[in-house]
Parts: sequence; structure tokens; C-alpha cells
Amino acid sequence: MDREIAMMSHVFDWILVLLVLALAWRSLNDCDLFRGVIQFIALGLLLAVAWLRLRAPDVALAEAAVGSGLTGALILSALVRMRQRERRGVPASASSDTSRTLQSGTSNRSRVLIGALSLALLTALGWAVFRFSAQSSGLAVESLAKLPESGVTNPVTAVLLNFRAYDTLLEIGVLLLAIVGVWALRRGERPGDDLRERPLLMSLLRLLLPVLVLAAGYLLWIGASAPGGAFQGGALLAGALVLGLLAGLAGRFLRRERLLRTGLTLGVLVFAAAGLLALWRTGGLLQYPAGQGGAWILVIEAAALISIGLTLGLLYLGGRPEEEK
Amino acid sequence: MNTLYLAAAVVLLLTMVLGLARVFWQTSRADSLLAAILFGTTGVALVLLLGAGLGLSGAVDMALVFALLAAVLGVAFVLRGWPDGDSKEKREP
Repeated sequence: MDREIAMMSHVFDWILVLLVLALAWRSLNDCDLFRGVIQFIALGLLLAVAWLRLRAPDVALAEAAVGSGLTGALILSALVRMRQRERRGVPASASSDTSRTLQSGTSNRSRVLIGALSLALLTALGWAVFRFSAQSSGLAVESLAKLPESGVTNPVTAVLLNFRAYDTLLEIGVLLLAIVGVWALRRGERPGDDLRERPLLMSLLRLLLPVLVLAAGYLLWIGASAPGGAFQGGALLAGALVLGLLAGLAGRFLRRERLLRTGLTLGVLVFAAAGLLALWRTGGLLQYPAGQGGAWILVIEAAALISIGLTLGLLYLGGRPEEEK
Repeated sequence: MNTLYLAAAVVLLLTMVLGLARVFWQTSRADSLLAAILFGTTGVALVLLLGAGLGLSGAVDMALVFALLAAVLGVAFVLRGWPDGDSKEKREP
């Protein structure tokens, strides 16, 4: 029986590895970009399955939520926008200075240079990993020993929001920077046509939107004890926003820019305020008072969830929402 | 029982191989679009089977996320990604 399971796992692993490699190659090299996007989405899906197979459900969940679903939708919208621009007669390569630089930048010589640099980086990283002692367990033992003090029972959440909360604070800052950069560069296109007259889509949304929001809250809540958390929940919230944008339901919401800005910055603000409050209460930045870790983490994550969901969803617009005319 | 789950997972993975082979070597975009939507469904089943076969409790949540985002992607594909979407108004999604 055990041998059968081992054999099955082997067969599964081999098919999975070959598929992932083939898809990675094809999604970069397909001459048809639309097919490339589809293969990229399938690649993300299979990578999530691979993480699950490696018994890393936290990474798998993040990959499933952000890597496959949302990134797929983002790339798809980029492709559609490119097509629209081409149809309007603007050649894709001449549409902006950036893309022109990119085009001329990929001459043969720079390709070799980029390849060599990437290879050097890969070698250096590989060497660094190779030198690790095979017996070392890193900081895993230490953080597991301190787990009861963190206020949550999921070790990943404990590390992300308690032991190394500083990193997560900066990560949320990076997300904020991303949306500020996109908003500064250009205006987003008008959100999709009003599709209210499409009964099939509307009845789907009537079911799907509440379930998405509910599932986002659910992932946030179980993040304390199982794989989940603000990023994964935020991705679902962003999915709901993308649906709203696609169906043209979010127009009025987009015009309330002050509300949007508050939502976008809420995560960083609450996180930083919590850090300062903790500094005042306990003398350590982001060092939560003993025994209250769980509550602090939940408040920070709830604020982060809103910001992450809004940021990822609004990135789909590709620019700052248009002002009312 | 676990063997059965894993065997079923292998079969599902093989159907994905077939679907991808179709995406690799065909021309019609509608076909590859349908394949992508089908992968989402297969992915949900795959994750559930794998979770049951390996005894991973988090797999059910992951399948939930997959299913929800596959629906979002499906809508995005049909509304925005449909090839040559000039006559968008004429179709029901």
C-alpha cells in the first residue's frame, strides 16, 4: 500500500515538473500573446499545486490567490489595452518612451549581458544555498518555541506579523508605493460599460460578490490558526473589485477619490500607528504588549486587508480613476 | 483510499496535459479560452484530491480560493479577452 502511494506520488511529481517547465517555456515564448497569457495562468495554477505537494500550504494559497488569479487578470487587461492601442493606429513600440527604450535595449549584446548577469546571480545564490549545513533548521526551532507568546497559532502568521512584523509593514508600504506610481503615471481608462442589462452576468455577480467578500473575511480570520491572512484575503477582495469594474458597477465608488485614498493608506497608517503605540506601551517598536498579540495582529491585518484589496483591485484600472466630468 | 485519491489526481493532471497540448498546437482562440476556464475547474478538483491524498487540511481553503478566482478570471476573459472584441455589444456573456 505504501509502495503504491510512493509510486503514485512519483508519477504525479514527474508529470507536474515537466508540465511546469513546458508551461514556463511556452508562456514566455509563444508568438500569440493571448495564448501566452492562458499558459501563464495555467502555470500559476500548477505552481500552487506544486507548493501544496511540497506541503507548504501557506505559499500555495498565496500563489493561488495572487500569482495565478489576479496576476492573470492584470496581464490580460494589459494585453487588451495593447490591442486597443494598436487598433487606434498607435504602434505598440512607439506608444511611449519607456517601451521604445526597452525595444532598442534588447539588442543582442545587451541580451548576452543580461543573461550573463542573471547567470552570475543564480550561481551566487545557488552557492549560498549550497553552503547551508544540511542539518541546520534555521530559526524554525526558535520561532516555534516562542509561538505561544505571539498570540496566534499559525507559525507563518506569527513570523509575518509578530516576530518580523517590520518586514510586513514595509511590504505594505511597497504596495502603496506601487499604486502611487501607477496613479502618477497615467489616468486609468473608463471602467467597463454598464452591463446591467446582461441578466446572466448580473445573476452571477449577485452570488459571487458577497461570497468573495465573505471568503476574504474568512481567510483573514483563520490566518491566526491556519494558512490564510491579509494578503490572500486581500486578493479575493481585489477579485470582487475587478468584477465590479468589469461590470461597470464601480463607477460611483471610483469617483469618491478621498474615500479611495483613505482606504489605500489605511493599512500602512494603522500598522505604523500600532508600531508607535507599542513603542509607547512596551518600549519596543511593534513589540505588542504581552498576552495581547492576537488582538493587535487582527486589527493590523484587518486594515491591511482593505488596503491590499483596494490596491490590487485598482491596479487593474491601470491608472488613476478619471475625474467626473 | 489514499492511493485512489492520488491515482485520480494523476488522471486529472493527465487531462490537463491533453488540454495544454491542444492549447499548444491549435489555432482557435475560443478553444484555448475554454481550456483555460476548464483548467480552473480541474485545478479545484486536483487540489481537493491532493489534499485528501496527502492529508493536508489547508487544501479545502485553497480550493475555495481557486474556485472563486477562477470565476473572476472567467468573467474577465469573456468580457475583455475575447479575441477581436469589436462586436462586444452583440454577445451575451
